[in-house]
Amino acid sequence: METTGRADLPGELKYVQYEHSLEAQYLPAIRALISKDLSEPYSIYVYRYFLYQWGHLCYMALDPVDSSLIGVIICKLEPHASHSPPTLRGYIAMLAVSSPYRGHGVATALVKMAIDAMARRNADEIVLETEETNVPAMRLYERLGFLRSKKLHRYYLNGNSAYRLVLLLRPIDPDAAADLSLDDIDLAPR
Amino acid sequence: MSQTNPSQDIIGQPSNRSSSDLDDPAPPMISNDGVVAIDITQKFLSAAATLEPGDLIKDGYFTLFEAVGALEIMDPKMDSGCLAPGESLDEDYDVTRPLSPSEVLGIIDQLLCLELAWNLGYPLSQTLLTNVYIEAMLMPSPVTIGEADFIRNRKHEPRDPMFAVLRAYCLGLLKCCFYVNERIKFEHYYEEEDFVTNTYHRSLLDDIDREEIREEIMAARRLLHSLRQDISGEMADALGFRLELRAAFLRAIELSDLRSNPESLSLPWSQMKAVWDTINKSRHLGTPVPEAFSTKIQRKLASTMPPRPIVQPSFEETYEQFKKLFADGIDVLKVLNYVDSQSLLNFVLTFQAQKPQPLVYIRTLLQSFLFKDMIVLGHLSIRQVVDDDLAIVVLPASRLLDPANDIVEAIHDPRFAIAHQMEQFRLRAAQSYLDIFRAFCQNRCRVRRTLCHSIQDWETVQVDAEEIDTLLQHQLEEKPMPYQTPLTSTPTSSGSEPLAYALPLSSWAYLYKLRLMEWIVQLGFELETYQPDELAGMYWYLSHLAKTRAQHVERIKVFTVQCMNEQRTNSTLTAAGEAQFTRSLEYLRVTILDAAVTWELADSLCCLYTVLQRLRLVVAPPRPYSTDELRYDIRMKPFAAIGLPELPSFDSFSRATAQPESATADLLEYAGRAVAGARKGYEVLAKLNEGDAFTAHSHARWLAGTKNCLKSVIAVNIAISTVRKVMGGLGRGEGDAEAGARLKTEVPRPDKCYHDWWIVPKVSEKK
Ligand SMILES: CC(C)(COP(=O)(O)OP(=O)(O)OC[C@H]1O[C@@H](n2cnc3c(N)ncnc32)[C@H](O)[C@@H]1OP(=O)(O)O)[C@@H](O)C(=O)NCCC(=O)NCCS
Repeated sequence: METTGRADLPGELKYVQYEHSLEAQYLPAIRALISKDLSEPYSIYVYRYFLYQWGHLCYMALDPVDSSLIGVIICKLEPHASHSPPTLRGYIAMLAVSSPYRGHGVATALVKMAIDAMARRNADEIVLETEETNVPAMRLYERLGFLRSKKLHRYYLNGNSAYRLVLLLRPIDPDAAADLSLDDIDLAPR
Repeated sequence: MSQTNPSQDIIGQPSNRSSSDLDDPAPPMISNDGVVAIDITQKFLSAAATLEPGDLIKDGYFTLFEAVGALEIMDPKMDSGCLAPGESLDEDYDVTRPLSPSEVLGIIDQLLCLELAWNLGYPLSQTLLTNVYIEAMLMPSPVTIGEADFIRNRKHEPRDPMFAVLRAYCLGLLKCCFYVNERIKFEHYYEEEDFVTNTYHRSLLDDIDREEIREEIMAARRLLHSLRQDISGEMADALGFRLELRAAFLRAIELSDLRSNPESLSLPWSQMKAVWDTINKSRHLGTPVPEAFSTKIQRKLASTMPPRPIVQPSFEETYEQFKKLFADGIDVLKVLNYVDSQSLLNFVLTFQAQKPQPLVYIRTLLQSFLFKDMIVLGHLSIRQVVDDDLAIVVLPASRLLDPANDIVEAIHDPRFAIAHQMEQFRLRAAQSYLDIFRAFCQNRCRVRRTLCHSIQDWETVQVDAEEIDTLLQHQLEEKPMPYQTPLTSTPTSSGSEPLAYALPLSSWAYLYKLRLMEWIVQLGFELETYQPDELAGMYWYLSHLAKTRAQHVERIKVFTVQCMNEQRTNSTLTAAGEAQFTRSLEYLRVTILDAAVTWELADSLCCLYTVLQRLRLVVAPPRPYSTDELRYDIRMKPFAAIGLPELPSFDSFSRATAQPESATADLLEYAGRAVAGARKGYEVLAKLNEGDAFTAHSHARWLAGTKNCLKSVIAVNIAISTVRKVMGGLGRGEGDAEAGARLKTEVPRPDKCYHDWWIVPKVSEKK
């Protein structure tokens, strides 16, 4: 997970919002970057599922010189069904920064852009899961204001557990608090 | 985001696909009455031609779940039929090749590691079903014991002795797996999270009789005995012990269905425990046969998953884990010796709090002991346990629990109504009560999540119980007595104490609800849910809950004593009744003590963490996207809907935690006094015997936990003293900032603490 041979950033990075017309140019690189830290790859449909519907919540960090991909964040934003009244829940599905460029605030910048975009679209909350051993990711999110709401036992295929992290953007409607569930089944299928 | 096993359970096998298959799709011939086939190939192709690559056409029912489950043809990590150039589809291992004794031993020992991996939660496909001998034995599915062999259709020649040994071992292994799988499936567990019960349409010798398998194992052991000369006594013993392990495991499983007489049930477990060490010591005699294990077998299983790697723990880990499994197997049987409901609860709590937690098989075994066929521990009705608990907690020697009420037929007799109303109450509360036990049989993450739901349920149990309490007051002609709740200190207009009824049933429910709430907070510490700067607040809330519990139990005690005195006065107190009162008062005493030490230790930690925050030794991250109040909302969400005790407002929570009006030195002094109180309390607790502590058959575990709390107390004391010393040495004009600069603090992870629920900071002076 930690950087091996840290590189300086090649100047001021370009941060670009994804759009469908960029698929041919960037989807292979996005897949390659995300897959590096996964034991099992996601199928192309998973990427398209997110990018086709929520391309506006995907941001890329690009090399200013050759426009190659350095980091990416992929999200979705949907009404969360098990809540009554439903909340508008943002979900950070994937985040990765190419390992030589880690530790320069690239991921932080990407996450901030995604949060801002979701907040502009009236998200009530933003959630995600991260592996219990992924200290860098947890630190990053917690620094921004996320809280661990619960631990998910053996959540990943490799047998590791996860934490559900939550960022509340506006107060919970007290009348809706009867749904205490903090539940997640619909978001992250197992 | 999590990854998923795509569509797990597909009947039939993937075909060996090559690109030519894709080029030339032969249209299926559909002919059936009432079916009119229309070839839409051209329509489809022309519609598809209007799409850009990457366009996604989906209906509203295509969810993320489907997307994650979808496969990409010709991607070797997703397409199970996709082969590398020159790769063969099948394993070409010959199961008829002769095996040396040491190879048989090597195979068995590798199977042990894989069996463990399966017990840890990995699928059969990546563990035991990677073995070629097991695959040959299970496919095609054997119907008789004779067919259950990796070499089928043998002519009449006798089995090679080494084949006989390996076969007998595999028979025993698979039958054990069958029973383990069935047990787990039958109880409450979480598929994939705790365990994967999928057998991929392989029958784990379901239909082959256990006795026949046992006979084969015995025959193989006799055979080994006769071979001592040829293969060396050491080798014969080594193989023999492994067979003994299988036989004992089968026996242990068989006996566990009896749920009585734990001493005799534990014999095979003890046998396994004993033989396990000898097995470990003879490991070096084995020769590994890695080619007898292959991921390719997964292609034949009913699954669309491409082959995934074999999951094989080291033998050292296997040794430790099975050793623990056998010890837990012996331990868990002790639950069958029922003494009282509170000891039962403490047994389950302490058993499940072990680190590492017992494996899922043991946890489901415990569930079957507790609940199977609605008979608790094989011989108690649910009513017996519930009534026992009511008698201990709120209703010792009470007319409400008199079994004779049930046979009263005169409908105007109050006892008739009492019997009816108590039955209504049991119907309402018994399930919620048993669910506490069930919840604690889950993995620790799930325990906490389940309890977050349960407190809602207990909230309504309490309300419903109060209704029944009111009805019962009439039947009992109960007179209210003066009682002032410490929390609601609103004196009545006359200045005298308000009158109150005992409300035993709702008091009982409230006590459980409070305990559940404390457990949720405590498990939050154990599961590292809180960040360091949250600890002050969470310990404050814990102390708030524990204090509420202590006060509530004091109230129960007042009414219990009153009731006892009444019975004494009107001479209705029998010797048996006297004993029930004594037992109940002992329970109330221990509960108050337990609540008091919890609140005092939590209080002292709250103050200590608040001080460390003032000294900037525990620092909150910047959190530009959040506010303290919004985070309070999320953190306290499980408690928000609870009416009693009501969740403190954010403002009162912040003030209680930060205590801005108290000087740092005063906070430290207060923390010191609280921890001293906790220490006294824990010392008293640690001296209790198992009768007084209600810890029958789990006293040693409970005591160890209590002593760990005592160590936490001492650690808190040291931390407080360290800070006080530095504060005391400050010069004129120096304050919190200077003190902070001279100290350093580490907030350890729970597994580095004396007790998972007490996260004690390590504070030291900088050199
Ligand atoms: C997790 C991950 C995305 C973080 O990426 P990153 O770009 O290194 O993250 P950041 O640079 O924003 O933050 C990392 C550190 O750099 C520091 N940093 C932030 N801004 C900085 C800046 N301008 N200059 C230097 N360092 C900076 C941060 O303080 C942080 O320090 P910490 O280690 O004390 O927490 C990256 O490690 C990764 O791709 N991991 C694999 C995939 C993964 O785990 N994804 C998350 C799944 S939910």
